[in-house]
Amino acid sequence: MSTEFLHYLSSRFLLEGALLAIEIAVVSMALGLVLGLGLALLRLSRHAALRSPAWCYIWFVRGTPLLLQLVFIYDVLPAVGIKLDTFTTAIIGFSLNEAAFCAEIIRGGVLSVNRSQAIAAAALGMPGALTLRRIILPQAMRAILPGIANQAISMIKSTSIASVIMVNELTFRAEQIVGQNFKFFTVFTAAALIYLAMTSCVAVGQIAAERRFDFLRERGDGPFARLAAAIGLRRPSEAAVEPEPPAGRREQMPALIGDLCHDVANAGMRPVIVCRNVQKAYGDRQVLQSIDLTVSRGEVVVIMGPSGSGKSTLLRMINHLEPLDWGEITVDGKHVGYQRMPGGGFRPTGNLARARAEARIGMVFQHFNLFEHLTALENLIEAPIRVYRRPPEQARAIGLRLLAGVGLGDHVDHLPHRLSGGQQQRVAIARALAVSPRVMLFDEPTSALDPELVGEVLGVIRGLAEAGMTMIIVTHEVGFARDVADRIVFMDDGVIVEEGPPGQVLDQPVQERTRRFLRRVAHKEDENIAA
Amino acid sequence: MRSLIFGTAIATLMLGPFAVLPASAAETKCEPAALAAKYPSLVGKTVRVAQDPQGPPYAFRDPENFDELIGLDADLVRAAFACIGVPFEFKTGSWSGLLPSVIAGQADLMWSNLYYTPTRAEQVDFVTFLLAATRGVVRKGNPKNIHSLDDACGVRAAAGLGTVEYAMFSGLSDKCVAAGKPPLEIVTYPDRPTGIRMLLNDRADLLMGDAGGNAYTIKLYPDELESAYTILTNYKVGPGISKSLPELRQGIFDAMQILQADGTQKALMEKYGIDPELQRPVEVHTN
Repeated sequence: MSTEFLHYLSSRFLLEGALLAIEIAVVSMALGLVLGLGLALLRLSRHAALRSPAWCYIWFVRGTPLLLQLVFIYDVLPAVGIKLDTFTTAIIGFSLNEAAFCAEIIRGGVLSVNRSQAIAAAALGMPGALTLRRIILPQAMRAILPGIANQAISMIKSTSIASVIMVNELTFRAEQIVGQNFKFFTVFTAAALIYLAMTSCVAVGQIAAERRFDFLRERGDGPFARLAAAIGLRRPSEAAVEPEPPAGRREQMPALIGDLCHDVANAGMRPVIVCRNVQKAYGDRQVLQSIDLTVSRGEVVVIMGPSGSGKSTLLRMINHLEPLDWGEITVDGKHVGYQRMPGGGFRPTGNLARARAEARIGMVFQHFNLFEHLTALENLIEAPIRVYRRPPEQARAIGLRLLAGVGLGDHVDHLPHRLSGGQQQRVAIARALAVSPRVMLFDEPTSALDPELVGEVLGVIRGLAEAGMTMIIVTHEVGFARDVADRIVFMDDGVIVEEGPPGQVLDQPVQERTRRFLRRVAHKEDENIAA
Repeated sequence: MRSLIFGTAIATLMLGPFAVLPASAAETKCEPAALAAKYPSLVGKTVRVAQDPQGPPYAFRDPENFDELIGLDADLVRAAFACIGVPFEFKTGSWSGLLPSVIAGQADLMWSNLYYTPTRAEQVDFVTFLLAATRGVVRKGNPKNIHSLDDACGVRAAAGLGTVEYAMFSGLSDKCVAAGKPPLEIVTYPDRPTGIRMLLNDRADLLMGDAGGNAYTIKLYPDELESAYTILTNYKVGPGISKSLPELRQGIFDAMQILQADGTQKALMEKYGIDPELQRPVEVHTN
């Protein structure tokens, strides 16, 4: 019995069938993944003309039996002059099928990545394809991998249904032996063990791949990482080879900004940001009524107002994260991603990412939006290297200086989840500065922070103000606004209610709406202090 | 399983007359060298023979060498094509996919214990040389005392899904009820080994299927199984050949006549445990 079992286990007849199953599974899985990624992107498209065909494809392929698809390809297509051999039929049938399933798994993975990641990448001028490849997919992999491994394993086993189109793989061969000698237990157990060996490779590969893409895990440890590094599969982390940053030495922000952002140096009081009759509606709700706002070089404008007043929307329209409904915005005299049509209107240009990159507008978000899978330094150098084509060495040097400048020289290799909120926001500010911005936009940079962490972030922004950086800051911090702002703009219900120097707007507001808001904010601050 | 057909086909077969083409002058000896003269359209061709290698004693893997196919059908294919003088290759696949592959042009003929029916003859031409028989198998000692179909009322009866035997069981069950006896408890199986496991594990009392196949099975389980009864059917058996290859059909017809005349067919039937009395004169059916 046992020798007979070993005889079947090492039977060339069965092993050849196993090899055929692997060949079909590997080729089909590879093709299926590529096609599936394409389908997933089509499914995620904003355009129904792209979305619908992809949906229909998945609906049809997923909804009909693979067996019938194989028979169709093998036995029906010859009627229209397409005669494919057995192996080709199996490859086509399985990969078309796999594509449909992989597409949904990949789409699920992409959807699992917080949208803030894509917004942050867009603000840095990263084009869609680069964002997908460098930011979204690496994070989506955690959600994608288990599903893909399931698919791969079930495909290796399900190649047996291709016996109907004369594919002689493992199960069919085992059945042939059983059909001849009826020793089903011995033969099927041997076949099962061969399958287990094949699927174990996938299972082990899954463990390795999941470790590779588990960005919450510290890098460079574990047997797989060492093995991968040993056989040259993985380059050592870019940041890991860096010499120790100048820890502790905190560079003066003005000097740093002067070096990095040349526009700041040749400051003159000319307008940088000009908003003219800006209007925006979401559905029926008019978010911005008719905003006119001019910000001059070196000026620090603080926008205040109750939530829902349109402050964040206005900010996002300046770097074209949101499209304009009406009016125009120029940054340094140029429209960001719009071109004038004959007749005076505007329409979005094709390459919006490039327009954003050229405008050099740094943006800092309420929830930091750091790239979760990249270290602090990698967050800083991503856009400079990939978008602005800065030499990696130079980008790293600048990144290290900036991190030291915001007081995080000791945290360059830390992933965002290891940092406190205040530290994350300082990294986010450094990241925005790393592309040498002309203008910095801050969207409630301290609203998501614990009160004791607010100070460190405001300190950094204050440093930027001293350096002469042109900034628009949306914030509720009255004391900070009084300190740093050249001008306060008070917005409510999509209009600018009142604007002027801090002393005027904060201390002697003319409008009742402003007074009411300031009273409420002051009350809240008292509560915070009391707490 | 080998005799997979549909209800309508059975009805047609029972009622309709057989359409038999008159055979041309009987060949007496093989002339493989005369291929070009006798079957010019086959010159330079490698004939693709679709066969299910899971079906002893008609086609199955040689226990000594799994790469080789043996059995009545496999051996007859070798003998016939040697006689015609044309090379061939086996294309192996599961039974239900074979006929579609011939119709689609992926294979030239199916030679795998295929029953002739007029419905099938609309799609492929037949050359028949054998009569099908079906056999009932029971556990050793025949505990339910089944010696003919008439004894089967009330037993657990196993048949291949969609087979003639399944149809026979269904008809019988109705008759049992009409006669005031308990109906059959019919269970179906996808392939013979599965059905045999049902019988061995006492999940069925009676298994009915192709006589040759069951004879082979009983030989493998002499201490566990025995034959209950054998019934001749009206089904003639032989390869189904693409209608686009009339010279191939003629070549097989000629070759089979020679293989019957020189005793090759009967010798092979004996070798594989199939009753030689089931041999029938070679006939061509094109509809």
